[in-house]
Amino acid sequence: MMTAAGLLVLSGCGGGGDDASSSRPAESASKIKVGFSQIGAESDWRVAETASIKAEASSRGVDLRFSDAQGKKENQIRALRNFITQGVDAVILAPVDSTGWDPVLEEVKDAGIPVILVDRGIETTDDSLYNTLIASDFTEEGRMAGRWLAEKTGGDAKIIQLEGSPGADPAIERKNGFEEVVDQHDGMQIIASQTGDFNQEKGQEVMEALMQQYGDQVTAVYAHNDNMALGAIQAIKDAGRKPGEEILVISIDAVRSAFEAMQAGELNCTVECNPLLGPMAFDAVERILAGEEIEKQTVVQDQLFDREGITEEIVASRQY
Amino acid sequence: MTFAVFVVLFTAMTLAFEGFGTPLSSCYLLISYAHVGILAMGMTFVILSGGIDLSVGTVLAFTTVFIAKAVSVWGLSPWVAIPVALFLGAGFGGGMGFLIHQYKMPPFLVTLAGMFLARGLAFVVNIETISLSEHPFFRAVSSWKLYLAPASFTPRPFLKAEAIIFLVLVVFCLYLAHMRRFGRTVYAIGGSESSATLMGLKVARTKILVYAFSGFCAALAGVAFTFLNTAGKANMGIGWELDAIAAVVIGGTLLTGGSGYVLGTFLGVLIYGSIMTGVGDYSNLGSAGQRISIGVLLLLFILVQGLLPGAGKTRSS
Amino acid sequence: MKTLLANAIHSRIIWPLAGLGVLLLFNLLADIEFYRIEILEGDLYGPLITVLKQGSKIMLLALGMTLVIATKGVDLSVGSVMAVVGVLAAFLLRETGGNLAAALAGGIGVAVILGAFNGGMVALVKIQPIVATLIMMVLARGVAFLITGGLPIKVTDPAIRQLGQGHLLGLPLSLFVVAAFFLISVILTRRTALGLFIESVGDNETASRFCGLPTRLVKVMVYVFCAVCACAAGLVSIGFSGIADADKLGVLYELDAITAVVVGGTALTGGRFSLAGSLVGALLIKTMEITLIRQGMNPAYMPVPKALIIVAVCLLLSEAFRTQLAGLFGRRKVSA
Repeated sequence: MMTAAGLLVLSGCGGGGDDASSSRPAESASKIKVGFSQIGAESDWRVAETASIKAEASSRGVDLRFSDAQGKKENQIRALRNFITQGVDAVILAPVDSTGWDPVLEEVKDAGIPVILVDRGIETTDDSLYNTLIASDFTEEGRMAGRWLAEKTGGDAKIIQLEGSPGADPAIERKNGFEEVVDQHDGMQIIASQTGDFNQEKGQEVMEALMQQYGDQVTAVYAHNDNMALGAIQAIKDAGRKPGEEILVISIDAVRSAFEAMQAGELNCTVECNPLLGPMAFDAVERILAGEEIEKQTVVQDQLFDREGITEEIVASRQY
Repeated sequence: MTFAVFVVLFTAMTLAFEGFGTPLSSCYLLISYAHVGILAMGMTFVILSGGIDLSVGTVLAFTTVFIAKAVSVWGLSPWVAIPVALFLGAGFGGGMGFLIHQYKMPPFLVTLAGMFLARGLAFVVNIETISLSEHPFFRAVSSWKLYLAPASFTPRPFLKAEAIIFLVLVVFCLYLAHMRRFGRTVYAIGGSESSATLMGLKVARTKILVYAFSGFCAALAGVAFTFLNTAGKANMGIGWELDAIAAVVIGGTLLTGGSGYVLGTFLGVLIYGSIMTGVGDYSNLGSAGQRISIGVLLLLFILVQGLLPGAGKTRSS
Repeated sequence: MKTLLANAIHSRIIWPLAGLGVLLLFNLLADIEFYRIEILEGDLYGPLITVLKQGSKIMLLALGMTLVIATKGVDLSVGSVMAVVGVLAAFLLRETGGNLAAALAGGIGVAVILGAFNGGMVALVKIQPIVATLIMMVLARGVAFLITGGLPIKVTDPAIRQLGQGHLLGLPLSLFVVAAFFLISVILTRRTALGLFIESVGDNETASRFCGLPTRLVKVMVYVFCAVCACAAGLVSIGFSGIADADKLGVLYELDAITAVVVGGTALTGGRFSLAGSLVGALLIKTMEITLIRQGMNPAYMPVPKALIIVAVCLLLSEAFRTQLAGLFGRRKVSA
């Protein structure tokens, strides 16, 4: 059943780059220029997202201006302004955080440039500051992980949580979503929660310390991303225990290494957060520039991959 | 000289990149780097005195979070929250200055500790970001524009609040450095602290004030940043002290102290901003290419400054 | 007795040791499990061992950083050098199908080149150390990105994994690497004139030059040594985690290294240095981290205790403060 769900999902989104997406409009005489402000290159997932957008731009003949903000908000704000001076026709923005965008987006709007948000949403007083949003819901990802765990353990688990970087929106929301579910089950308890900074090495170090303290109590580990989960898996092995069997390990992002870990039986499940947003983003750009009405929000469905349903083909088909 | 290199750099980028060098994009440069510039102004005085301040980035972050929480959650008026924040910044800096002077502790370390402390305190105030977009004061100030040309001139250049604050501060710092005893004492201390003491200058008070001023600038930069990005965020500002130091050094101020120009720092901010903007937003390079280019450009610049006779030498008081 | 205490207060290594002692005492009282050591497949395992194992990277960095700081310099690029070495080694291992010699040669080679470049900028072009190594920090990180193309590289070579994960005589292997580096640096600096040269350059470079010391060579050498230490730390890192991630490897490690050195008693103004003190400083930082994790402190607040420890130890290292303190114990100065 899980396999079927997984395959359905793959044909629907992840492998979306190969799909015949919506019709290609007739190429205009001059290329359209699109500015893409990306957060950085801090994870496989992020790199995949960038690659998807760049590939899509080149296959549609779009002149793409790419700016890597190296994780800094002020660089993104600056980039948007410089896209205005470069005379772009549209802006694709992957916001590094959700607040404080109003001043610069107002300027972009005044310049008559449409804004497509990808990957996460923003808080704003004025909805018209962006045209559409194509994103996953981090809180829901946390909930999905929580629900899977509740079901798998019958609502009884002692959990160690490895958080993302303090103050980062995905970390906060994935934590909230997960804890929402945990609160609903008396038998589920988070016995320790520490930050691994979304980082495999740090995740391993922190987990090592926590294993020494809670090794005999813990039954599950929930990591906000796959990198930390992989680090945790190593730490569990070093402590002489079996990850995936004695201690369940769940995470988010569904990168290729996670699938390999599931194949090895060490990771139990991962929630997919699809980074291949290129096709959807450029569909939106073309529709907006053609003057069409567009949905305010397209929620990219997250899917959960369970270890049980993993086969060779699925692992091989993971692009990133 | 610094100015000459700036002209060369700026011209080269204007020719290479479409959209760079226009009045509007030059305004953007000032607006986008105003907060770094404000930090650099305070940093100039600290470095002139022979010290360094690593805490400015996190004090900036603390300020934004403090103001955001004060205004949104505690219900204070911005007219109260902002002065309080500035006062806290100055006090924090002054405290560090006291430790540095009184116990002869190395500035690098004390301000490093200050950096950690401010970061932790920022999170204590609030871990998650707090939006200020709904608050009428911040909405108004952050969208206010000072147009520099008639509407017929497109694209129409404008400046915003944060840039104005920066420019006013530059003028103030010029005044402070060259027309007040404080400035002269700072240069003297940087040149030789023992000589300055023997001359009877108020070394202790000046040293503490220098760090207090730096803290004040850090808080001011935080205020300016809330107009750029209408939110309070604890986990930002990582590395901004290095941006400020880079700007000061590019501007010709020697880290050994006693030699440098406030105006040099202003140019340094513009140069640093141009490099980051040109490479980051106009060059269309990938992630690796951008980082390497920035490093290479900074290196070239510093080499030129170091190797050209007289190029790095600026006025020592 | 009072004089003994007053004298003790004035010796430098006593303070980082005291700081470490306070932490260990705290754990003795509040968290005895901290001291539990078990045997897992013939190796020792427990929080103390974790401190030693995870602290190896910082200890290695701190050794190299000590000598740089002793020459009145600083090296902000060590984290990025770790990254380049780690990433290059991983890359070479993958491309050559597991040729360890090539990977090691590449790693050490690039470290020497980068270190020499740092040293050259500081000693020959006379760029200030903060600026020169800051630029290297940015450049090296960029090169690391270039090598990986953004995606982390997996490391499976057993020898390297052993370096980060393995044990010898029950203790972590990386600890022996630290010991080796420590021994080498002690021999080089205390058994030859090199240590004297370094201190001399840091104390007064002009005078040293007039004395005929090869000041520029000394400076270049310490930066090279620092980079080689970073190389070792980088290899330990990829051995430990099994991946080389250009974006995360070594990030912010330079701050911990500098803190370890200064807390260990070596002054940033250059001159006298203490290698042993730096090791103690590194252990102090790591012990504090592990203690805070075990105490369940919210990760966001962790910078605060770090700051307080730095201030506390530095206050105690400060001459002026200790004089005040010693005065309390009986050596009262007659006020004029």
